[in-house]
Formats: sequence, C-alpha cells, structure tokens
Amino acid sequence: MEWLRGMRTAPSRRQPVPDWRGTVRSRLLVCAAVVASWTAVIEARLVYLQVVDHGELLARADRQQLRTVVAPAKRGEIFDRKGRVLAYSVDADTIAAVPNDIDDPEEVAARVCKVLDGCNTERRLAIARSLGRRTPFAYVARQVTPEEARRVRALELQGITLLKESRRYYPNSELGAHVLGYVGLDNVGLGGIESAYDSSIRGKDGKVLIQTDNKRRAVFSRVEKPATAGAGLELTIDEYLQYVAERELRAGVEANHAVGGSALIMDPHTGEILALANWPTFNPNAFGRADDDARRNRAIQTLYEPGSTFKIVTASAALERKVITPETMVETSPGFITFPGRKPIYDTHQYGLISFTDVIVKSSNVGAIKVGLKLGPDVLTDYVSKFGFGQTLAPDFKGETAGIVWSADRLDASALASVAMGYQVGVTPLQMATAVSSIANGGHLLQPRVIRAVIKDGRRVEVPHKEMRRTIEPETAATLTEIMEQVVERGTARAAQIEGYTIAGKTGTAAKLVNGHYQKSDYNASFVGFIPSRKPALTILVVIDSPHGNGYTGGAVSAPVFKRIAEAALTYLGIGPNLNAPPPVLVTRHDPLQEPAPAAQPARAASMLAATLEPARNGLMPDLRGLSGREALRLLSQIGMSARLSGDGFVVDQMPTPGSSLVRGDACTLTLQRRAPPAATGGRP
Amino acid sequence: MSAMDFEYAIKKDIRNNPIVREVDEARQQQLWRSAGIGLFLVVVLLFSAWQHFELLRHGYQIERMQQERAAEEEVNRHLRLEIETLRAPKRIEKIAIEQLHLVPPARGQAIVIERVTPAAPAEKSVVASR
Repeated sequence: MEWLRGMRTAPSRRQPVPDWRGTVRSRLLVCAAVVASWTAVIEARLVYLQVVDHGELLARADRQQLRTVVAPAKRGEIFDRKGRVLAYSVDADTIAAVPNDIDDPEEVAARVCKVLDGCNTERRLAIARSLGRRTPFAYVARQVTPEEARRVRALELQGITLLKESRRYYPNSELGAHVLGYVGLDNVGLGGIESAYDSSIRGKDGKVLIQTDNKRRAVFSRVEKPATAGAGLELTIDEYLQYVAERELRAGVEANHAVGGSALIMDPHTGEILALANWPTFNPNAFGRADDDARRNRAIQTLYEPGSTFKIVTASAALERKVITPETMVETSPGFITFPGRKPIYDTHQYGLISFTDVIVKSSNVGAIKVGLKLGPDVLTDYVSKFGFGQTLAPDFKGETAGIVWSADRLDASALASVAMGYQVGVTPLQMATAVSSIANGGHLLQPRVIRAVIKDGRRVEVPHKEMRRTIEPETAATLTEIMEQVVERGTARAAQIEGYTIAGKTGTAAKLVNGHYQKSDYNASFVGFIPSRKPALTILVVIDSPHGNGYTGGAVSAPVFKRIAEAALTYLGIGPNLNAPPPVLVTRHDPLQEPAPAAQPARAASMLAATLEPARNGLMPDLRGLSGREALRLLSQIGMSARLSGDGFVVDQMPTPGSSLVRGDACTLTLQRRAPPAATGGRP
Repeated sequence: MSAMDFEYAIKKDIRNNPIVREVDEARQQQLWRSAGIGLFLVVVLLFSAWQHFELLRHGYQIERMQQERAAEEEVNRHLRLEIETLRAPKRIEKIAIEQLHLVPPARGQAIVIERVTPAAPAEKSVVASR
C-alpha cells in the first residue's frame, strides 16, 4: 500500500516505486515452471501409458470392457411334405452352478432337488457331489422345463445360475421317431435324419462382441461373425399317413400279440417314402428312456427272410426271361419237394397241376422252386441284385443294412430252391417295398428317399429323383401286376381287398431262423402290394414279427393291416375307386357373381359347349364325345343327369347314345381315354 | 497578516467531465471473440458430453430392446411349438373320439368330389421365413 500512498502525495515527496511487475513476472515464472513441470510429468506418464504400455493396457481394457459371446446357431427345422413341423428347436433353461461360490453344497443340492421334477435321493447326492468339487463351473440340470426353471430362479440361491441352451423338440412325440432320430444335449444329432444330416441342420455358431460398463451391463454389441442357421429339411413323409401307418401297425402288432413290426408307404413313381413306421417305437423327446430295441429302425436295419413275397422276384425273372408264361402249367404234386441233405419242402396244400399264375396266387413253394430251378442260379441272382437286394439303397439313412444274398457260384440246387421261395436271403422291409414299387411303376428301380427338399437361407432346393436301373420291361411288370391282382382277388391275400379298388399284392410267411434253426412258432408275416393296381398311387408293405394271435400268415396278420392303412390313405389322398366308380359329385355354384367369366373357360369355346347342349332342349341326349371328362360332367349336371365314368381323359363313348331320348336324373356312362379322338369322330375340334 | 496567514490557494478547476474513457475497439472485439470462442468451446464440450451420454443411453436402450426382441422371438417359437403340439393327429383323434364321440367315416360316407393334386413346387423356390 505504500506505493499507493505515494501516488497521492506530491511529486516532490514521492518514494521510489518498487518494480511490482518484475515481482509478478518472477512469481508467474515460478508458477509456470511448476505447472510446466507438472504437465511434463503428466505428459510423460501419458506417453508412457499410451505408447509404451499401449498394447498391454488395451488388452486389459478389452478384457474388462469387452465380452465375446457365442451366438448359437439355431438347428434347422424338419417339416413333412406339407410343411408341418416335425422337429423344432427352442431355448430351454439349464441350471448351472459356480461351486466356488457355494458354502453348503448339501443344503443347496437339497433345495434345488426339492423343486426339480423327479429328483430322487440318488440325483440329489450327485448334485451335492458336483457342487462340492470347488470348480468354477458345473451343470446341475440341463434343459429343464420352464416351470422347473421358474422355481429354481425363485430360490435365489447364491452360486446357482440359469443359462439358455437350444433344445430339440418333437411336437408329435413318437410320430416318425425312427425317421427323424433324436438330438443329444449338446445339440448333436444321434439318430435318423438328425444324425445323417447333422452337419447341414446344425448350422454354425456366430460371435457377438459386447462392450460392457463397470457393472458388466451390455452397452454396445457388434456381430463379429453372424451365426449361420442350419438348413431346414422337407421330408417326403406325410404326417397324417405316418400317423395312420403307426396307428394301424401298433393295432396289428397288439391284436396278434406280436413282438414288433414295420409298415412302409411309398410313392412308386418317385421312390418317396410317405410313411415309415416301426413298433416298438420311442419318444425322441425322451430318447434316453427307450431301450435299444425300441430305437432300432426295423424298416432299414432289421433283416428278415421275406418268404413268399420274394416269389415276386422269381416270377419277374421267369416272365422277363420268358422261361415261363402265366398260363404255363406247373406240376406241384405231391405237394412237397426234396433235396439231398435237407428236409422236404412242403406246400400248405396239395395243388396238383396248376398254372404259373396259380403258383403265385396260391403261393406254392413247390411251384416257385421248380420255376427257380428252371431259371438257374445266374439268372435268379442277377434279378435279385437288379431289384436292389444285397445293397444299401437309401442315402438318407445311416446304418442301413445291405442284406444277405447269395453269389451265383455258391448257389447249389437246395439253396436255389430256398431263394426261389424267399428263404436263405436276408432283406429289409425298405428293400422289399422298393422292389415292389419298381413293378408298380413299370420296371424302374427308384432310389428310396426321405428328403424331399433342403431349405437353406430361404431357398428351397428340391432333391431330384434318382432311377437306379431298370429291373424288368413294362410288359413283364403289367403281366406280374395281373398275377398279383389275383393274389388279392382269389388268393392268399383276400383280407386285403378294398371294395372298388384293384390291388396287386403278395403275402409272405417265413419261419424265423433262431440260432440256426427255423422256429415252429415264430414267423415273419408280411404283405406287400400297390393300389390302385392299374394306376398305382401307393406301395404299402407290412411286416409283423412273430404274431401269436389269430394266425401267423401274411394273409391273416399283415393283409388286414395293409387294408386299413390303404383305406385311410386313399380317403386322405382323395383317390377314388377304379372299379365301378360312382359318378363324381358336382356342386353347382349358385352365385352368379362368382361364375367364372367366359374367357376363363379353358380349352373350348363356350359357344361350342352351348351348341352341344342344343339337342337337350328337344329332349334328346347330346353328343358328349370328344369333350374332356370335366366338360362332359359339367354339361351333364346342367341337363340334370349324373355320370358314371370309366377311364380318364376324353370321352370316346357314351351311353345313352347321342340322339336317344333324354331321361333327366338318369346316369350317363362315359368311357374316357387319354388320347382325344380325332375331330371327325366326335364332330368337334 | 502574512501571506502565511492566508491560506489561500487557488484551486485550479480542472473540468474533466468531457474526458471520456475511450473504448478500445480492438480489445473489445478481442474480448468478445475470446468470450465467443470460450462459449463455443463450452458448447462443443457440452454437446460432446451430451452426445456421449446419449450414445450410452441409446446403447443401453438398444441392448435392452434387442434382449426384449430375442425374448419375444423365443416366446414366439415356444408358442409355435405349442401350436404344433396341439395339432398332433394323435391328440386330435383322441379328442374327436373320446370327447366329441366322432367316428371315422364309413365307406361311402367319404365321397371324393374332386382330387386336387397341388402343383409341385418349383425345383428351386424362395421360402418365406416362419
């Protein structure tokens, strides 16, 4: 303040003013130096941290702030041929533990066990042992139900946590269990399609990088590697047909007190397996509780001696090689045949001199053996191989059995006789159904398959049909079909008859070979056939293992099962009778607004159809020849007549004839053929 | 009376009223500029902080929503599984027979009006996601 006072006094009395600026400057310099030093130290430390320790600190920060989480790929779904879900994956809760955080394992195990379903003392002790191991992680119960998870969560136990795991579910339980297979806890297919196509269905896990805060809460996440969803599979299986096959097979097995059985429905024109049923079966949702026998896919893994159904092969070879004709007479007297060193082979009845057709119809062993001997080992084994026996056929199944067949050079007369009637060969039901399908479709051996299409990334790629080879000529197939029709009409398979349908089939009854001896009480009873035989839509095979009920033959045991499956399948698929088929029911549309526009009428001009109806106005029968079946039906409904159809395609003949008097309400019989008659015949284009 | 007796001083009246402090325009401008820059820096700082916190907030929000979405999708899958379980043929047949007392149609009761064979899908086609 001195210097301030000095300022107020007169100049003469002024004191020398101290150099305050210098003082301030020096003090500022000191401060600046201190700050600079401090800053320099800080900067040096920062440089050290950011340059020298950069890598280590970055890694430490990443460890603290970033988490890499596996984004599990969803296992692809499995559908039936109509898109109905057969196998599906959803997340399930898994109870896990951090044993290091648990003070009293016994107490925790007891409390957890109390809320878990079916937790017994043994399991409680196992949990306690697991928790007492002082490890950083342990599973307590994997893939529990939502209710169990909720109860465990409510306990709020320290060291017990809940994780999400993908679990495979089969909404139809046992339905198609052997085809679908099952999946283990680690999401790996262990059987059936799940195993065979595991690499495609499983997909690939992805990675997600998550940035967390100090409380380990996710702040940001970034997909490092997207999860690749597994491919979906569309099967050839039809859910309803599969259900019918399983239901009727089970009924057949239980009614006949049998050990088990298989039923198979196949589309003979494509080789697609529409249903594959086995009994006993299992629930793939709880596959661990099923025994090995229940999990075995009998249709592809179990060999059986087919017995008389194999005579189809003998007959095919004989007819194809023209060794015999259906009318050729075969002497089966005296009802048995003998070979050196073995017991005589008997027929069930003494048939005497019968035609080759009757050899098959009556299932004469002696007749089949004589034909087989005529064929010789080379030809017969050639056809056995051509029909697909002794080789695996379906790439869609793991563990398919190839079967047991003879090589021609080892086939002596006795063995040849056995093979000719279906003994001393081991086949699978799938092989037999495939062989008969080749007869149904005119001689094409198609690869049986169960995968119809693969759906990947939203794109459906169909699996093409594969013809393996030609077995027989279409003419031979047609002849054999006629013979097999008679088996059902008047032979051993009358129990398979369905009114209105022609069925071609063959029964088989083979004694089971146990420890090298044929059993007198255990048989494999089978029936295989296709329906409608003249335009086959389905090949159905039924094999019943060791029936002990009302009978043991294929005709008594398996044919009725075939019939029930076929009836349900035909109704379901809308396949009308081919014998004396009733006229289709036509429903008249009454809403004029809904009438299709004339332009929408296909093929034929409306004026032409109207002209056809002209005679009806005068009470005369119009000329329907040349019209398509559908057009003729439409016109008949307009003039108040019902229709009885024969064949398919275009009308080539009609009754009442054109121009005859028209009786409304009567039925008009139309004969249809695929090839349209020339315009002049029917007087129309 | 000496001159000393008279305390006489002529007080020079200096009128400095008209003297005004001249505003230094340059410094004023510099001041405002500095203040403006400071304010701008503060605003930038605040905006940056706001952005940062908004980013964090949205990050939490996005994560929460993603978790909710995943949970909803899982619920959807569970519901679909339940639907598929409920429409199993075995269950439907059991209800039809035991509760509704229905029977399978006898021969002749089921009449085929027209067999509708659905067109086969193309060999390669796009499938809508479920």
